Amino acid sequence: MHEFDWSSIPNALPFLWDGMLISLEITLSAVVFGIVWGTLLALMRLSSITPLSWFAAGYVNLFRAVPLVMVLLWFFLIVPHLLESLFGLPRGTDMRLTSAIAGFALFEAAYYSEIIRAGIQSVPKGQMAAASALGMTYGQAMRLVVLPQAFRNMVPLLLTQGIILFQDTSLVYVSALADFFGAAYKVGDRDGRLVELLLFAGAVYFVLCFAASRVVRHYQNKMKTA
Amino acid sequence: MISMNKVSKHYGSFQVLADCTTQVQKGEVIVVCGPSGSGKSTLIKCVNGLEPFQSGEIIVNGVSVGDPKTNLSKLRSTVGMVFQNFELFPHMRIIDNLAIAQVKVLGRNPEQAREKGFKLLDRVGLRVQAEKYPGQLSGGQQQRVAIARALSMDPICMLFDEPTSALDPEMINEVLDVMTELAQEGMTMMCVTHEMGFARRVAHRVIFMDQGRIVEDDSKEAFFGNPRSERAQQFLAKILHH
Repeated sequence: MHEFDWSSIPNALPFLWDGMLISLEITLSAVVFGIVWGTLLALMRLSSITPLSWFAAGYVNLFRAVPLVMVLLWFFLIVPHLLESLFGLPRGTDMRLTSAIAGFALFEAAYYSEIIRAGIQSVPKGQMAAASALGMTYGQAMRLVVLPQAFRNMVPLLLTQGIILFQDTSLVYVSALADFFGAAYKVGDRDGRLVELLLFAGAVYFVLCFAASRVVRHYQNKMKTA
Repeated sequence: MISMNKVSKHYGSFQVLADCTTQVQKGEVIVVCGPSGSGKSTLIKCVNGLEPFQSGEIIVNGVSVGDPKTNLSKLRSTVGMVFQNFELFPHMRIIDNLAIAQVKVLGRNPEQAREKGFKLLDRVGLRVQAEKYPGQLSGGQQQRVAIARALSMDPICMLFDEPTSALDPEMINEVLDVMTELAQEGMTMMCVTHEMGFARRVAHRVIFMDQGRIVEDDSKEAFFGNPRSERAQQFLAKILHH
């Protein structure tokens, strides 16, 4: 029977906290970039310009058909070299965080674009017709009339996807980046207390994600009654 | 003001509009009626280019709607349209529904646009509702707001696509009253509607459509007095005798 020893956790808290900040930074940046890029992809997908729509469809299908961890590895291995040669950065500049964020953003955009596409399609066609009839251009009608309603309908789904993304950030351990999970792993490995640290990390992920999903549920119910 | 010449439209082999030809003069009020699926909504949506058509020509105030070089947005900003399902923007307050296109399309300053919005709300009797959201208003009120929104653009003519079909019976008259007033002020109007009482009161001409064709296009006296086609006689008999 394994004897639990939690004593290494209190001392490691500052280090774990730094890891949590990295996890949150990746999550937030990827959510923001993912939604922006995902919106553009959704608009391309719905556009009547065939090459744009094909590009978006291809992009979405590609990213949805490969494992996230593989995308992260590609970015970990390729992006730093690319940026080094493009911007003449000194070799060995630490770009793990940048590549992780880029990888997540591009990957998540594929998922976000599908959510956003469904959101745009959930807005009645008559809204676009009414906006056009008032003389708005396609862009104005989208920006002022359709997208605001689409996003309002989508908020719960976008947040839920954000929660999933937060969990998935633990995958950056493949690039040895000390996010929350990576930090917990390192501490556990160093002190020979891997089981305790991983249980602790799991508990923290659970509490945060469960609480966040409750908030989303609450918001959803409020929207229903509004 | 509006002239249509042999306008045709089809989805695949299904003919929606066939050789529709008619004219609307400035200040005229035209009622378009006919059985459902006869193409009347499609016809008026072609006038502002919301529905494309394959052949024929529509000229609105000297501008060809079907011409690819035409700036459709600009043309539409001069033609008011009212829809069956109101289509107010649910995420904006009533006053913002009235102001937004004035600001974003016509480039009016926001203060002036709101001022004009309030005036028009006054006119349709809904000034007190200005700060509410569309969902808080009844159907009849929403449709009056929709008419005010179209008028906020100072249109040269107005298109109505079954403006009372989605309303509860007790709300139909408040909308028809606004439309009647508008007609009496000399607005050029094309109305798709089944409200024959409205047609009798204010229309100058009635167009009767069936299977994508304009079957009758006559003064209202002639149409109600003695419709020539059998199809129009049947239609009138059905909707007037109950």
